[in-house]
Amino acid sequence: MNLENFEIIYKENRIEIKNKQKMKEKLIEIVGDGNVSIDKIDLLAYSRDSTLITLNWTIQGKIAGLPDFVVWPENKAQISEILRLANNEKIPVIPYGEGSGVVGGAIPIYGGIIVDMKKFNKILEINDKDLTATVETGINGMNLERYLNAKGYTSGHIPQSLYISSLGGWIAHRAAGQFSTKYGKIEDMVLGMEVVLPQGNIIDFKPIIRASTGPQLNKLFIGAEGTLGIVTKATLKIWPFPEKRALISYAFPIIEDSFNATREIMREHIFPAVIRIYDQFETERHFVDIEQAKDKVMVVFVCEGNKKLVELEETITKEKCENNKGINCGEHPVEHWFETRFRVTETSTMPPYKIVFDTLEIASSWDNAAKIYHSVIDSVNSLKGILIISAHVSHFYPNGVGIYFTLGGVPPKGKTEFEFYQKCWDTTIRGVLDAGGSIAHHHGIGINRSHWMEEEWGKSMDIMRNIKRLLDPNNILNPGKVYTHIWKGSES
Amino acid sequence: MGIFETLKKYKWMLPLIGKADRETKSILLKNFRQKKKNFYPEGEYKADIDNLIKCMLCPNMCRFDCGTLQASNTESMSPAYKARIGYYLSIGKIDPTQPENKQFIDLMYKCTNEENCKVWCPFEFSVVSLLETVRDDLNDKGLMPDYCKGQIEKLNKTKTIEDYNIFETFKEKGIENIKTDGNDEVFYFIGCEMMKFPNVVNANIALLKKAGIKFSTNLEKRVCCGAPSLTIRDMETSKNFAQENHELINNTGAKVLVSDCPGCVLTLSERYKNVGVKIDTKVIHIVDFFKTLIEEGKLKPKGELPKDLKKVAIHDPCLMTRNLKDITSIRTVLKVIPNLEIIEPIYNKEYTHCCGWSGTVHWADQDLAIKEASNRIDELKETGVNLFITACPLCELGLAYGLLDNEKEKYKILDISELLLKVI
Repeated sequence: MNLENFEIIYKENRIEIKNKQKMKEKLIEIVGDGNVSIDKIDLLAYSRDSTLITLNWTIQGKIAGLPDFVVWPENKAQISEILRLANNEKIPVIPYGEGSGVVGGAIPIYGGIIVDMKKFNKILEINDKDLTATVETGINGMNLERYLNAKGYTSGHIPQSLYISSLGGWIAHRAAGQFSTKYGKIEDMVLGMEVVLPQGNIIDFKPIIRASTGPQLNKLFIGAEGTLGIVTKATLKIWPFPEKRALISYAFPIIEDSFNATREIMREHIFPAVIRIYDQFETERHFVDIEQAKDKVMVVFVCEGNKKLVELEETITKEKCENNKGINCGEHPVEHWFETRFRVTETSTMPPYKIVFDTLEIASSWDNAAKIYHSVIDSVNSLKGILIISAHVSHFYPNGVGIYFTLGGVPPKGKTEFEFYQKCWDTTIRGVLDAGGSIAHHHGIGINRSHWMEEEWGKSMDIMRNIKRLLDPNNILNPGKVYTHIWKGSES
Repeated sequence: MGIFETLKKYKWMLPLIGKADRETKSILLKNFRQKKKNFYPEGEYKADIDNLIKCMLCPNMCRFDCGTLQASNTESMSPAYKARIGYYLSIGKIDPTQPENKQFIDLMYKCTNEENCKVWCPFEFSVVSLLETVRDDLNDKGLMPDYCKGQIEKLNKTKTIEDYNIFETFKEKGIENIKTDGNDEVFYFIGCEMMKFPNVVNANIALLKKAGIKFSTNLEKRVCCGAPSLTIRDMETSKNFAQENHELINNTGAKVLVSDCPGCVLTLSERYKNVGVKIDTKVIHIVDFFKTLIEEGKLKPKGELPKDLKKVAIHDPCLMTRNLKDITSIRTVLKVIPNLEIIEPIYNKEYTHCCGWSGTVHWADQDLAIKEASNRIDELKETGVNLFITACPLCELGLAYGLLDNEKEKYKILDISELLLKVI
């Protein structure tokens, strides 16, 4: 098949590999014949991740980015050798887990070698006394969680992408799950890691409970999005499967009331596993049959763990909600959330109508939360072509929240879907920064946010780039992400 | 789905669309109107384009439970990618007539029909149900792969899925043939593949006899149920098998047809409808029948199993649990066996994992099917038990492929009837 039949979107900076056959032979020497492919069927399969605009391209027969090789290493030594070869040949290497990223982190925009981590899928050890699991990073999230559940544990990391993401992807993007308010985010869970550095050196960060041993270098690799190393193994915290769950829901008149209630709960050091605030629009969308929630803001809570503690958390949570004009809606809305939380249908139904659809998550202090919410809603609403802008709040801290915006629309005349998509993103991020927020809560930077990194980090971005140069002088690992501006022409 | 139905489904969007400016509304309505023109094939086709699109644009919500993906560890085997390629083949973006595109056609057959995907699908369909519609179009274009043509040739020549008529081997295998007198209580419909396991067939015959059932096997007249041709989508061949079996079943006068193969049960009870044939006789799996016989006191388990058979792990056949929706028969029967310890693997009942030997993948890519079998064996080994119990000849075949040669002494795979017979 002629892949030229497919338009490539990210093609400007593609590297040219002069002798692909020779390169393939070298890769075969490292990983074996069955673990290298230049077949079109494989190259096409790794041409995108789950970034939502790529779905519009997919139905239109376009490719986000095209790799030159796909390899499936089986051990860390092979990864090391692949990286040494890539440095010698100056060919990009793009780590690939389950391809669930939504900011373009795994798109091979310069071409090169996809290193698919799926064969790193073993659970190596569960230590009941320490409450840890040591796991290879290519494992699928649901398969890890199902195994832990069967053994009487949970990882506590349950993102909406659980079915479609990998441990490596969680670490790469500093992921957060829906139960994170109790169990923490991935950076709170990882105690140790094995990492292959860009030039092939392998380092082993032993599992550490807590340390006062100088700067914690290991943390550098959590959220590096595969630009500073390939994480091959991690030791994670795990938890006994909860003894009891309490399902609570309240409807509030306006979003500020829900912010007040949840903030007061957090101030009491009460950590429901799940708290989710849905603005009026999303309440209408997700809880249409809940009469008490009509034109209101729905909040669902899940408290879980030790029975006595859960009962106490439930009591205090209800008290704070009722003190802030909350109307008790019972367990049903939470049961409905449990039933529908993995039913993702919008990604499939919007592109055939050329609707551009996406979600963006950001972080805010409590002080700025309402301001950011309204600022983004207003600014995105003012865009020509926009149909939907709504939000829910899904991650909570004593000091602030993670807000998750959903937007959709059709490009106005004269604009492509991609241009409109970029405009929506940039308008959202501008609104967040202007109102004092942080540009990404848990999806990461990838391509979509990299041009905002200077404004987010200020001068420390220079230090980050220097670290990248130090570890990866040939810019081999996942180039074009995090540190590089790919979206030329977008406002920033 | 028309414009009105789509709008109804997404009625939460209506107020927003109402608020949109005139130009945006006009663009949106144009996009709705032109969906088919923009993204559907021209001319006649059988491919389920609506659902292929839904599947290919889904973030692969079933990927973790797709047996071929888990066995291959490659994105190219992911369910949504299969749908994507099916879509591109259907709209001509990938030209199926070009020999260089054979690997894309082959992908349409690399599925075990296990339908784990359906359990997790937000749209509640299975990927194979979509791939079959792509196969229909490929067949119409004369592009059926050779490994499928070979199966069809065997079916037409030997009336079974083997190079010879496997039913004719009953004598040499020591299987008793019981001819119908036209007034049977039960027709024991032995699966083609179960003929490879005469111990199982003999155990079933012995159990039916011990329960005092008047039944026939009619091996001298038997043909395959036609499941392979239905899966390959050669509907003409399938119809011939359906009609032949319809006549044979009617001639037995049986009130109940029992089969040792869940694939046969599914084909006779459900899939014949696709070729316009309806079997009026009640069709059930033989384990389901044994469960009833035990409940009625016609089979009375007693005594002790040999020591090496006292602890078993259950391998649920996916056709039985997900397609026939029967997760209780195997367990009910096993529970009445005295002093039997039953261990459940992590993935069991409706969440069972496939043995690798269903669907078309074992023809299209046998190594992949064996890897899937090996994955399932690993899950069964995780139980710490050496004896795996199942109720499907394809599972017995597949699981056996999953064992290494040096493991075959240590681990045993038995059909449930073989175990039951030891205590009846």
